[in-house]
Amino acid sequence: MSREVALHHLLGRAVLDPHGRKVGRVEELRAEIELHEHGNDYVVTEFHIGSFGAVESLAGPYFARMLLHHLGRLVPYRGHVIPWNRMDLRDPRHPRTLDTLEQLRAEQDRA
Amino acid sequence: MKKWGEIGLGVVTSIGGFLEVGSIATSVQGGANFGFRLAWALALGTICLAILMEMTGRLAAVSGRSYVDLLREHMGIRFFIIPLVAVIVPSFLVLVSEIGGVAIGLQMATGIAFRWWAIPIALVGWALLWRGTFSLVEQGTALLGLVSIVFLVGALKLHPQWSAVGAGLLPTAPSHDGAKYWYLAVSILGASISPYLYLFYSAGALEDDWNIEYLAVNRVTAGVGNLFGGGLALMVLVCAAVVFLPRHIEVDAYEQIALVLATPLGRTGFALFLITLCITCFGATVEISLSGAYLFAQGFGWPWSENLRPSQDSRFATTYSLLILLASVPIAFGADPLKLTNISMVLSAASLPVTVIPLLALMNDRRVMTSHANGWLGNTALVLISLLALVLFVAAIPLQILGGG
Amino acid sequence: MKDGLDLRHDVQDAQLVDRRHENIGRCDALLLELRENAPPRIAAMLIGGPARSERIGRWMTALRRLVPGHTRAPEGGVSRIPFAAVRSIGNTIELDVLRDDLPSEHLEQWLARNVICRIPGAESKKESKS
Repeated sequence: MSREVALHHLLGRAVLDPHGRKVGRVEELRAEIELHEHGNDYVVTEFHIGSFGAVESLAGPYFARMLLHHLGRLVPYRGHVIPWNRMDLRDPRHPRTLDTLEQLRAEQDRA
Repeated sequence: MKKWGEIGLGVVTSIGGFLEVGSIATSVQGGANFGFRLAWALALGTICLAILMEMTGRLAAVSGRSYVDLLREHMGIRFFIIPLVAVIVPSFLVLVSEIGGVAIGLQMATGIAFRWWAIPIALVGWALLWRGTFSLVEQGTALLGLVSIVFLVGALKLHPQWSAVGAGLLPTAPSHDGAKYWYLAVSILGASISPYLYLFYSAGALEDDWNIEYLAVNRVTAGVGNLFGGGLALMVLVCAAVVFLPRHIEVDAYEQIALVLATPLGRTGFALFLITLCITCFGATVEISLSGAYLFAQGFGWPWSENLRPSQDSRFATTYSLLILLASVPIAFGADPLKLTNISMVLSAASLPVTVIPLLALMNDRRVMTSHANGWLGNTALVLISLLALVLFVAAIPLQILGGG
Repeated sequence: MKDGLDLRHDVQDAQLVDRRHENIGRCDALLLELRENAPPRIAAMLIGGPARSERIGRWMTALRRLVPGHTRAPEGGVSRIPFAAVRSIGNTIELDVLRDDLPSEHLEQWLARNVICRIPGAESKKESKS
C-alpha cells in the first residue's frame, strides 16, 4: 500500500526520535535517480534535519552555513543527514527517526 | 569593442531615465525647505541604488535568471507573497503619481485640467507597451528623457555657492523643524531607492540577453549611469534651494515647481520644465507597469517578454495593461498628484527590507553566482543598506505623520 | 560535484518549461509516493493556482473561491505532471509535455482568445533589435 504526500507537508515538520525527543525540523530532502528497464525514477535517499528550520528555508543552505560559520558559537546548530530507511514516515505529519538522539549524535561525530 | 557602445548607451539611458516625479518632487521640496542641507540624502540614496542595481544586474548576467525568478524559487511561494505585496502596493501608488506628473505637465501646457489627461496618457503608454519592443520602450523614453539635462543648465545659471552644495553632501542635523527634515530625507531616500528600479533592471538584463561578458557593462551602467543621474537630481535640489528658500516659498503644488527652471531660464525654462516633467514621468509610467508585470509573471512562471507578441504572453500583457489603466483612475477622479507622490515615496522607503535582505542570501549563493558571488566589500555594503532599510521601515510612516504636509 | 537533487532547493518552485522551451509555470507542489520497504518516490508535480493557494494558507484558498473564472478550468486549473516527464533539470526544469494540453494554462489561453486577440496589434510581429 502506498500513500502520497506533498513535499511542503514534510518540510518544516518537527522530527522526533523513538523516545519522543526533538531531533530538529525537516529542512531538505535529497533524491537520486534509480534506473529501471521501464524508465527512471527519482527516489529520496536522505532527509536533512536541522535545528535552523525556518532560517534555512528563508536563507538557503549556503547563507545559513555562512551565518553559522560566523555566529556558530552563539547559536547552537545541529544538522543531521538521515538515510531514508532510518526514517519512520508512517505518519507523515509526525515524522520520526528510527535511531535515538544518542545514536544520531554518535553517527554525526564519527563523520 | 562593441561593448563600449553598449556601455555608452547604458550610461546615457540611466541618465535620461533617472528623473521622474518622485525624484523631482522630493528634491524640490528638500531644496525649498532646507537649502542644500539634504543633498546627503540624495547622495546616499543614489549610492545605495547603484549598489543594488549592480547586484541585481550581476545576478541576472551570471545566473541567466532575474531577481524575482530567484526570489520565488528561493523563498517558496508562501514567503514570496510578502515581497510580492510589499512591492506592488507602493509601486502602484508611484505609478499613479507618475501619471499624475504627466497630467499636471499637460495641464500647465494646455490649460486643460489634469483629470482629463489621465486616461489618454494611460492609453498612449499602453499602446507603446503593446506594440513596442523592450529596447524601444526603455531606450526610447530614456533618450528623450535626456532633456532633463536642462536642470544642470538651470543650476549653473543660478550661480549657487558650490562650496555650500558640497557641504550639504555631508549629513548634518537640522537647526529647525526636525520632523519635516527627517521626513523629507526619508522621502528623498524612498524616491532614490524604489524597489521597482532594481527589479526592472534585473528583468531588463534578461530582455537584453546579458551574460557573463556583460559584467563590466553592468558595473558601469549601474555605477556611472546612476551617479550622473543622481547628479541631475542634485541639480533639481540646487535649483529649488536657490529659487525657493530665500523667498520662503512653501511648495505644495506642481505649478510652483516650474519656477525652478522658469526663474533662471525664463519662458524657455518653463517650457523645458514641462517637457521634462512629461517625458520623464511618462517613461517611468511605462517602466513601472512593465516592472509590475515582470513581478507577477516571473513569480508565477508565466511566459513573459516585452519582445513577444501579446498573444504569446497573454497573462503578462493583461497585467501591464491592467496596471497602467487602473493607475489612471485616481488621477481621473482628481486625486492630488503631489500629495500622492509624497505618500508613495514614503511607502517605497518602508517596503525596502523585503527586497534588500534576501539579496544577502542570493548574492552569496555559490550555486547561483559561481565565482561572482559577493566579496566582503559587497556584503558589508549590503548589510549596511539592509540596516538602512530596516531603519526606514520603522521610521518612514511615523515621520510621514509627524513631518508630512 | 553532487549528482543528487535537492528537492526544495532545486525542484519545488522551479520554473518549468515544455517541449518547446516555453514557460508553463512553476512547480507549485511536489508529490511524493511513500512506499513500504522502498524509498519514497517522486510521483508528480502540480502546477496551478489552487496548488499555490494551498501552500499559502487556508485564507488564500477561500479568497480564490471568490474568483469565478477559474471554476470553468478543467480539473480545477491544476496540472498534474508525472515526474517521469522530466527531461532535464537545470536553471529550468524541462518537461516532455505541450503547453496547450495543460489545464493550468486555461487562463492564459482564455485571455489570449477572448481578450488579447480582440485588441488590434496582438498578433502583429514586433520589430525587435537583435
